[in-house]
Amino acid sequence: MTPTLFTLSLCFTLALTGLSFHRTHLLSALLCLEGMMLSLYLALSLWTLQLDSPAFSLSPMLLLAFSACEAGIGLALLVATSRTHGTDRLQAMNILQC
Amino acid sequence: MHPASLVTLATLLLIFLILSTPIISTLYTNPLPNTWPTTHAKTSVKMAFFVSLMPLFVFMNEGSEVIIYTWSWTNMLTFSINISFKFDIYSIIFTPVALYVTWSILEFASWYMHTDPNINRFFKYLLMFLIAMIILVTANNMFQLFIGWEGVGIMSFLLIGWWYGRTDANTAALQAVLYNRIGDIGLILAMAWIAMELNSWEMHQMFATSKNTNLTLPLMALILAAAGKSAQFGLHPWLPSAMEGPTPVSALLHSSTMVVAGIFLMIRMSPLMESNPTALTLCLCLGAVTTLFTAVCALTQNDIKKIIAFSTSSQLGLMMVTIGLNQPQLAFLHICTHAFFKAMLFLCSGSIIHSLNDEQDIRKMGGMHHLAPLTSSSLTLGSLALTGTPFLAGFFSKDAIIEALNNSYLNAWALTLTLLATSLTAAYSLRIVFYVSMGHPRFSPLPPINENSPSLINPIKRLAWGSIIAGLLITSNISPLKTPVMTMPALSKMAAMAVTLMGLLMALELALTASKQVSPTPLRTPHLFSNMLGFYPAIMHRLPPALTLTMGQVTATQSLDMIWLEKIGPKTIQNINQPLASMTSNAQKGLIKTYLTSLLLSLTLIIISPLMF
Repeated sequence: MTPTLFTLSLCFTLALTGLSFHRTHLLSALLCLEGMMLSLYLALSLWTLQLDSPAFSLSPMLLLAFSACEAGIGLALLVATSRTHGTDRLQAMNILQC
Repeated sequence: MHPASLVTLATLLLIFLILSTPIISTLYTNPLPNTWPTTHAKTSVKMAFFVSLMPLFVFMNEGSEVIIYTWSWTNMLTFSINISFKFDIYSIIFTPVALYVTWSILEFASWYMHTDPNINRFFKYLLMFLIAMIILVTANNMFQLFIGWEGVGIMSFLLIGWWYGRTDANTAALQAVLYNRIGDIGLILAMAWIAMELNSWEMHQMFATSKNTNLTLPLMALILAAAGKSAQFGLHPWLPSAMEGPTPVSALLHSSTMVVAGIFLMIRMSPLMESNPTALTLCLCLGAVTTLFTAVCALTQNDIKKIIAFSTSSQLGLMMVTIGLNQPQLAFLHICTHAFFKAMLFLCSGSIIHSLNDEQDIRKMGGMHHLAPLTSSSLTLGSLALTGTPFLAGFFSKDAIIEALNNSYLNAWALTLTLLATSLTAAYSLRIVFYVSMGHPRFSPLPPINENSPSLINPIKRLAWGSIIAGLLITSNISPLKTPVMTMPALSKMAAMAVTLMGLLMALELALTASKQVSPTPLRTPHLFSNMLGFYPAIMHRLPPALTLTMGQVTATQSLDMIWLEKIGPKTIQNINQPLASMTSNAQKGLIKTYLTSLLLSLTLIIISPLMF
């Protein structure tokens, strides 16, 4: 496996692990999500160089746009959660079903 | 120009001018003189009466009937509407009678309404009513008749609600307007049918072109119109309620002139009705039911004006029966004689009411024979004329009607009901006289019993003269259009008098047993039926409006708005999608960590397992 591929997949896997095993704050889950998006963006951006094919040059921009939307949604949910529950701690979210 | 038509045209113009001058003088800003009702309004009606005698005398001399065309209002190709006046036997005789009665009533009203601050407006309304009535009776086309018809209806509304601070008066005025409106549907239907089929609203053209057409529909419509205006059964409750108005209003509108407008319409349309047995039978049966029902209701009323109102309604039913017998002239004769004694009855009741300090309950009157002799004598005279005492005014018309009834080929049930109602007429008339004039006074000695005012006495005396001689005068000066049956068995001939006497004697017997305590209270069921007017107003004023309004609400609000514009349109999507979405989203429990951990675990296993094995 090339070092590039190894780095990128390792980064993705670590971020996914961070997302799955978030313990205290919701914000950390959102940050890991951003990390996943970042690693995918890097992979798509290096496509042209690694595979000598300029065909998918547009795809990193698209991914970035959608990732920005997704980050916006995530932050809105964070704000809504902190408004209703008072905190973004995960213990608070199971106690009061609302 | 022929002298008869010249005289008639001149007197018509003069009458309208005389009657409208006082009304127009109220439109100026000059304040009216204090005695305006007496010096201007009453005098104008008096002059109009004397002027209207001219065409009457010309008619009695020559027998000529006049039709006057003034001008053509509008025309649409072949259909034209004109102003035209018809002075035939009916309108030539009715106009002086109406003016005479109105003259007496206006003089009485200047005494009765003396303390009213708006007395000038009251007289103006009465004059406007009179003009509308004259337009109605002299109309030669349906359009002009409709103008008069609506005019009298509106003035009736304004006058019934004269004391508008009183809720009952407002309700009664509204009731009058609504019941009249139902009749107006019939009149407009008839006018539309006639305009379409007979192509004119002129009466002579209608009569000429309708020989072979099936006239059942317009005649039914005209009978509805007459039932609404003349308070026949089904549309009758407004007439007793109309007694909320002042007594002059009751005397003029609701006994002599306005309520006979419906019968007058039937008389005018009698050439159309002659050949239609359905319409005649309907008139007969409707009139018979009306006369008996209202006579029964009159038996237990305690308000003197209501008894007289039901008496009016009963006589109107009798007139309708006469129309159903195909005897329009007898009905017209009864209209004229009825005007005199009914107006006098109302005037006497007004005098008694004012004398007893506005007391209208007959249980609180009594002994007026000694205290107000002229009034109670006139009351007795009027009641005798009403029951058809021989050779008073009512006899000539009522006896002729009963004789015609006995000698016609007609529904026996209608005959029975009418004879029964005739005997009840005597009963309730005796009830009034017994409670008001006979016996001992049942009121405190304080009321101002005073009948010394000439504006009270003279009208009553004039109408008393009319009640005595009017029948004789009219019958001896006009020739009958249909030959009456001259020979009949003695009992048939005496039928009217026999049933009247029987009714009178039974009522007298019952009245005199009251002091002997035969039974402390009357039988509950018949008394309640009669006193509550057969429960007709109680049922019909509640149930049909409630049903109609509920139906309206169901169709307009429930079915249109709620169903079509809400549930089937916009809310369908919501109602279908929301259960789906919530069911779907409730399927998972939101354990994100668990889900993502299982994802990670399975990912790890997939990556590591080829390396292991």
